[in-house]
Amino acid sequence: MSLAIAERAASGTLFQTLDIGHPVYAALTDPQTAFWALVDKSCAAEAARDPALLASYGAKAGAFADELHALRFGLKPSGVYLNPTERCNLNCTYCYLPDQQRSGGSHMSAETLLASLASLRDYFRSVMPEGRKPRAIFHGAEPLMNAPAVFAAIDAFADDFVFGLQTNGTLLDDAALDFLTSRNVSIGLSLDGPVAEITDATRQTWGGKSVHGKVLRAIEKLRGYGSWSVITTCTTENLPYLTRMVELFHAAEVPTCMLNTLRCTLPGARGVKPADEAMAEAFFAALDRTHALYQATGRKLMVANFANILIGILAPTARRLMCDISPCGGGRAFFALAADGSLYPCSEFIGLPRFNGGKLLEEGVAVALASEAFRPVIERDVDRFSPCGDCAIRHFCGSPCPAEAFEMNGGMDKIGAFCAFYKEQVNYALRLIADGKADDYLWDGWDEGTETVFALA
Amino acid sequence: MTPKLQPNPQTPTATPAKAQAAAPTIAVRKSCNPDGIGLSHYVLMDRKAAK
Repeated sequence: MSLAIAERAASGTLFQTLDIGHPVYAALTDPQTAFWALVDKSCAAEAARDPALLASYGAKAGAFADELHALRFGLKPSGVYLNPTERCNLNCTYCYLPDQQRSGGSHMSAETLLASLASLRDYFRSVMPEGRKPRAIFHGAEPLMNAPAVFAAIDAFADDFVFGLQTNGTLLDDAALDFLTSRNVSIGLSLDGPVAEITDATRQTWGGKSVHGKVLRAIEKLRGYGSWSVITTCTTENLPYLTRMVELFHAAEVPTCMLNTLRCTLPGARGVKPADEAMAEAFFAALDRTHALYQATGRKLMVANFANILIGILAPTARRLMCDISPCGGGRAFFALAADGSLYPCSEFIGLPRFNGGKLLEEGVAVALASEAFRPVIERDVDRFSPCGDCAIRHFCGSPCPAEAFEMNGGMDKIGAFCAFYKEQVNYALRLIADGKADDYLWDGWDEGTETVFALA
Repeated sequence: MTPKLQPNPQTPTATPAKAQAAAPTIAVRKSCNPDGIGLSHYVLMDRKAAK
């Protein structure tokens, strides 16, 4: 046990106690290392002084601190979000991209997109372990508005990237589906309601037409495909229907969904922002429903954004998504290429010019990563600002997202938009662990390639 | 596998009340090489591609 750990243990400041709402268990955490233990809540204070726990944790605390530090500060980028066009055929209420870009913006030319991917390939080769391919996700605004360039790029760089495409699904015709599925491109769709009336409340064409039916048809055509998912963005408009959403997804054999909180970066989104308490209630009801469906059918519907919270607790280095960690993955584990050729820490920042890190084909990735535009995002550290700095779960949450903290709450040293909801997610995850149910909410084999480095049970 | 809680100390019993042992402490941590992971919350938890 290090002297620092011994001193903190002696002064009673090593562990913070967390009421997780479980009938038997409370959590002890050492936020500095993302360590947790579930202890009998009737004697939590005694458990925090238990010599056996202190000795076993003390022996590992240094390694856990090193691991967390490497995860938070030592990663190199391994993914890029590609915006091959500024334009979108939909006008969603909560979009993070400015209206003017989406309605009248420009496409990136095929020539520029190909040159960009060549530059990105060379960059990733310089920083990634040999044998690992970077991921390139066509993301915004609606990438299939510029399908010829996207498809040309996928074919030209098939050996260099693992490709994905996030689409609103309305332009995913048979030809596009055949092209993407034949090349094993991961496909993400978006659907906000179980019926058109709910979807239409936040996702419509510029002319006000419903797209619900088109997305349902795309979902049906993707049934059985190996790599696809659907995002539901949670708003005041669809919150009462999240349970029906997961029932729809499960019936359609959607393998993975995300029930994402909307990002409040731009003012338009804030008008449909749910309250944290309402968000938590609806979200957990939907999670409970996925579990009931799993028990009834033996088939899981993964809620990936929650699964990532759960994995972040069980195995911090095995997490897949890098929003709920601080600093977040923006400008660190991934970055975004805008349609005008500029680099941003994340697509979330593309509407905010002060975060423009320069042109990929002029200054390059390394210059952007080191730029003053990226620095506030890369250096946003929950250890350094209140109230996160004293929070028992700050490294299970990360206080997402820096874009909305900056734009909505007034600075990078502010919390994100859903602080209380994230706390409740962590409590829910710890309750699942206490009840031995965590694996039911994770994909089979989630811990392949991991090693158990601490176990008390 | 994460541990299962056995038995549930709050399960009512017909036996007279007596001091119950504290529930066992649960703590698990797994670790792996994090190189080459990580995307944003928007996209594609592609498990095959993530490996």
